[in-house]
Amino acid sequence: MNYIWGGLIITSALFALFSDLGAELGNRYRNGERHELRITPITQPQPASADVVQLTIPGHSDAISARMAAKSEPPVLQLLPDQPVPAHWRTIAGLLPDLGAGGLNLTVVAGPDDQGRVQVTLPEVHWVRMQAITQAAFDMAEFAVKLAIGLIGLMGLWLGMMKIAEASGLVAHLVRWVQPALRYIFPDIPRDHPALGAISLNLAANMLGMGNAATPMGIKAMHELSRLNEGTDQASDSMCMFLALNTSSVQLIPPITLLALLGAQAGGLFFSILITTSVSTLVAFVSARWFARRWRAKGQ
Amino acid sequence: MMNLASILVLPLLLVAIPFYGLIRRVPVYEEFVLGAREGFEIAVRIIPFLIAILFAIGMFRASGALDAMLNLLGPGLTAIGVPPDLLPIAVMRPLSGSGSLGLLADLVNQHGADSLVVKMAGTLFGSTETTFYVLAVYFGAVGIRRTRYAVHVGLIADASAAITAVIVSHLLFT
Repeated sequence: MNYIWGGLIITSALFALFSDLGAELGNRYRNGERHELRITPITQPQPASADVVQLTIPGHSDAISARMAAKSEPPVLQLLPDQPVPAHWRTIAGLLPDLGAGGLNLTVVAGPDDQGRVQVTLPEVHWVRMQAITQAAFDMAEFAVKLAIGLIGLMGLWLGMMKIAEASGLVAHLVRWVQPALRYIFPDIPRDHPALGAISLNLAANMLGMGNAATPMGIKAMHELSRLNEGTDQASDSMCMFLALNTSSVQLIPPITLLALLGAQAGGLFFSILITTSVSTLVAFVSARWFARRWRAKGQ
Repeated sequence: MMNLASILVLPLLLVAIPFYGLIRRVPVYEEFVLGAREGFEIAVRIIPFLIAILFAIGMFRASGALDAMLNLLGPGLTAIGVPPDLLPIAVMRPLSGSGSLGLLADLVNQHGADSLVVKMAGTLFGSTETTFYVLAVYFGAVGIRRTRYAVHVGLIADASAAITAVIVSHLLFT
């Protein structure tokens, strides 16, 4: 895990650095290049500020609307949002982080002359990848907290329900039912242990596609496993097996997100998903067993 | 049919559990509050784990390293019947749920929901979970820092799902 995590960060930084260096040396974004275009209507000597003008670019069929900010020095043509701009312009616009809903700002370096011809430059773009990974790191750190806080409500609801189920003996009933099968998968869990109940509820919720109920029950199961593990910060074999079954996903129903995206097509994937998820769950089970034996042999 | 089951099971559970508790003379309200209080503690406890995992994945996504890898591997994959467009999803799936869903939506836009590559990608998406997220949440909730071989197993399972999705889609849909 340490290597994977560190590797992700170092790979990202190195890749971003080299990609940006390449862009700087090869001038990939054509910084400072002048583009010639024509403004209509032509008002002399200069269009009044905030007038909307049409831009036509040689070799590009669509006309583009922009607002003339003649007061600023040098004058700026501010493209209106969602204009049919050339591909290179779109690339540049996509790389600028703070564009918001507005369009590109073109700096007027020459003109307009009496026929409305102007020369403009696009905003300069430097070190985009490096800026992007920094921004992504900050954004995701914030998102992680939002995600965790968003879990509180559902987590509380289902953990409350679990507490009632435990106190009323429902979990104990369940444990007796599922014990034979689960004890084969989790040989380290003692007989009649409540962890078996939580695990079976989590797996059942996963199979039925009830993700929001599955997570709290899975956490409950992890808690029970952690108590068996005397609360150390190292994962036990049972924990790794339980995680393996959860990450390989045992669901029988295509997830709701897939239904929303593919519509009726998602139903056609029922069998292919069932086969694939069965294979991956089996692989997860077998490899978790294999690793458990290997790590035990190494005494770790 | 299966959808109906999942629609009915949830409300049934929410009613049946307290009902059974009442029959067994359990102080249901008091027990519920006791359990629900753990929800807050757990959410707070997983925050450091989520920050660690999500920020690293966010950097990786933003760096563009994935696209470069695809340009390298693309031609070889086509030769063995794997559409190159499938690879981004296969790599992204264990890292980010929203990221891989976005890639799937792109594929639907480009190729249509009926195409083979979308069926492969949909199968792959539906048959695995976001490994690193599940790991952060489940292990984070009980303070597991030394994860031993859990990641290896998760990634092996993800790889097997990707391979199976390609083979099964070829068999079922062509």
